[in-house]
Amino acid sequence: MTSVSNSSYDSLSVVPSWGRRFTVVVRHLFSSPVTAVGVSITFLFLVVAIIGPFIAPYGANEIIPADARQPPSADHWFGTDNLGRDVFSRVLLGAREILILAGLGTVLAVFLGTFFGLLTGYAGGWFDEITMRIFDSLLALPALLLALLLLGTVGNSRYSILIVIIVVYTPIVARVVRSVVLTVKQQGFVEAARLVGETRTRILLREILPSVLPTLSVESALRFSYAIFLVASLGFLGVGVQPPSPNWGLMVKEARAYASLIPWALFFPALAISMVVIGVNLFADGLKSILSPGQVE
Amino acid sequence: MIARNISILKNKHLLLLISLFLLISLLQACSVEAAPTEQPAASQERRGEMRVALQPIVQTDPAFISSDPEILIASSIYDYLVDVTPQNNIAPRLAREWTVSEDGKEYVFSLIENATFHDGTLFTADDVVWTFNRLRDPDVDSPTRDLYSNIESVEATEQFEVTFRLQESNPFFLYDLTDNHALIIKADTPDPVSDFMGTGPFKLVSYTPEDRLVVEANEDYFLEDRPMLEKIEFIFFNDQTAQVEALRSDQVDLVMLISADLFNTIKDETGLIPLEAATNSFDLVRLRADRAPGDDPRLMQALRMATDRQAIFDLVLQGYGALGKDTPIGPMYSQYFSQDLEVPARDIEAAQQLLAEAGYPDGIDLELHTPDTGNRPNLAVVLKDQWADAGINVDVIIEPESVYYGDDGWLAVDLGITGWGSRPYPQFYLDTMLVCGANWNESHFCDSEFDDLAKSAGTTLNEDERVEAYNQIQALLVERGPTMIPYFFSQLGAISDRFTDFEMKPFPGRSDLSTVRQADQ
Repeated sequence: MTSVSNSSYDSLSVVPSWGRRFTVVVRHLFSSPVTAVGVSITFLFLVVAIIGPFIAPYGANEIIPADARQPPSADHWFGTDNLGRDVFSRVLLGAREILILAGLGTVLAVFLGTFFGLLTGYAGGWFDEITMRIFDSLLALPALLLALLLLGTVGNSRYSILIVIIVVYTPIVARVVRSVVLTVKQQGFVEAARLVGETRTRILLREILPSVLPTLSVESALRFSYAIFLVASLGFLGVGVQPPSPNWGLMVKEARAYASLIPWALFFPALAISMVVIGVNLFADGLKSILSPGQVE
Repeated sequence: MIARNISILKNKHLLLLISLFLLISLLQACSVEAAPTEQPAASQERRGEMRVALQPIVQTDPAFISSDPEILIASSIYDYLVDVTPQNNIAPRLAREWTVSEDGKEYVFSLIENATFHDGTLFTADDVVWTFNRLRDPDVDSPTRDLYSNIESVEATEQFEVTFRLQESNPFFLYDLTDNHALIIKADTPDPVSDFMGTGPFKLVSYTPEDRLVVEANEDYFLEDRPMLEKIEFIFFNDQTAQVEALRSDQVDLVMLISADLFNTIKDETGLIPLEAATNSFDLVRLRADRAPGDDPRLMQALRMATDRQAIFDLVLQGYGALGKDTPIGPMYSQYFSQDLEVPARDIEAAQQLLAEAGYPDGIDLELHTPDTGNRPNLAVVLKDQWADAGINVDVIIEPESVYYGDDGWLAVDLGITGWGSRPYPQFYLDTMLVCGANWNESHFCDSEFDDLAKSAGTTLNEDERVEAYNQIQALLVERGPTMIPYFFSQLGAISDRFTDFEMKPFPGRSDLSTVRQADQ
């Protein structure tokens, strides 16, 4: 955070370039084994999400009646489910859906949360009061309950899940950003920028936002892991995504009835959920320890 | 240092394990001691106690019961006037015998003369009159009100003789009398919800809502050698899996209404006897016929041609049931079912041809609605996969059952799957599901030729004419009907081998528990 506490126009040229900063962060990430595991898992799943459709041996909804309920084998690495669908292909193809939904939802929630956090934190006054009280009331409800209520109102579809993630996580991000803004705006360089006569937009974007970024990236990574879990949970509860979508949560729900007969159909999607959530969490933890004050210089 | 720590850790674990093991063996020893030691007795003697796992019940008033568990409990405490056998024949119960007038409008029943209610009062014709007047009473508003609206009067013509007069002849009237709700309650019972005053083989001992309901043998039951059990405990479980686990761990002796998957997990278990009953229950895939796109019958034909019934049967039912021929008259009704009727086999090209003729040369997008219960979600997913080959792309929309049936959404959607229960005679399906303007005509099918056939089948007193009408109806439905019925599913259950003489009926709630005996050791 200290790296950007400059107040003049040309301040950014003194700061290490974005490219260099990135290499520093990556080096730090791999210096801790736990974080390295987290990063690798996250990266693996991102790769799977991208190339999954090209390497999946079967279609997500391809029913092969003759192969129903087969244990893992050379043909079906993760076995087949009760209807004869290849579990390996479904897990691969499910990665894209869950990561896109959770990722897009997180990006939008972080964007909106940052917007409201910056504005409310900097402006204060009645605008801050009203916005924050609205957000507080949203935060008072457990995330899953809020999600179920919203889905009941806006109807079941993929877009509703995006809306749910945005509504559930925007207030949280906004609060975090606002708290950073409240500290930063007292500091000298902001005061100086104001005295120089910079516009409010410029102060927010060029002076305050850079100080918020470290906290924000940790928060985004955390939100991303929660969003993945939320999408999977909603799938498990049977809302939001509809069969035969290869949503991991939905796959767990469907396989639950057959748990004692074809446990592999339950195990692999559950493993995928836990791995990606743990991976992203470890990643976020590592990011946090690196980006804490005094670490990046 | 580290090594020592680990060894201490190990020791702790070991200690814990040993104590746990000791505790378990101690508990087991206790439970073995506590188990009742039954003496082998003559097979005719009434003895033993059976524990039945059921979903919790809500209704106890026979006029309002609806779920299988409610019906099973009520029919062990009360009796019907006449009952229906697993072969769909009418069997006497409180009515000994009966005569029907020439015009089919007057039914005279002679009643059992030695039946008593659980409080000792003698059962007479007045109780029958009171019960049926209650079932017809607009103020009571039982679900049977419509069913019995054709009854003109019910009279006690003698102490043990009841006469029903009908407004119009009804060849299925005896079946109507076997309706689940038509259990005879003692006349002028102040509170049928909590009095449990019947003539049935078992009488109430205690009822703890959402926990259990206990009944004991009615010593004065009018049938010799019944019931054969001393006591039955109905134990309530919310979850099917929990019921099966309880059966496996010997906490209950009988489970019914379980899924094929759970059935597969226990059917080979020693000490359990698997139960399977063929039924006329089915999942109906239907397309609204009164508006686009379903108003062109070729679309429904295309859906049929794109369907592989055998694959559905194997995947979804896992072989427990029978293949359907798209009409609600299933193989259970052996006298009415058209054996020779051919349902078109799967033919993707023909399906595409039909689609093109109907105006969809590039395929069609549809929404397929279904409730989230039973086999219906699986059926929807398999249909989606099969139909996609013919260019019919469906979005599966699965809703909680309460949502699907609430607000009559199931009557409104274009393409939907609905579950229908088993009935003792097929006329019910035609009259409520397919006749023009019927209450539950979810496909909005309206065909005057069909209506005429259904009417003549439902009113004729000549059995040959009825068989002929049902045959024509089945041919008509396969040719241009709005329905597809890929299968009829079996009811599945399991009972402990410590009991014998239990027969699970197609409607499991109507199984007779009074015949069950404890097996000789």
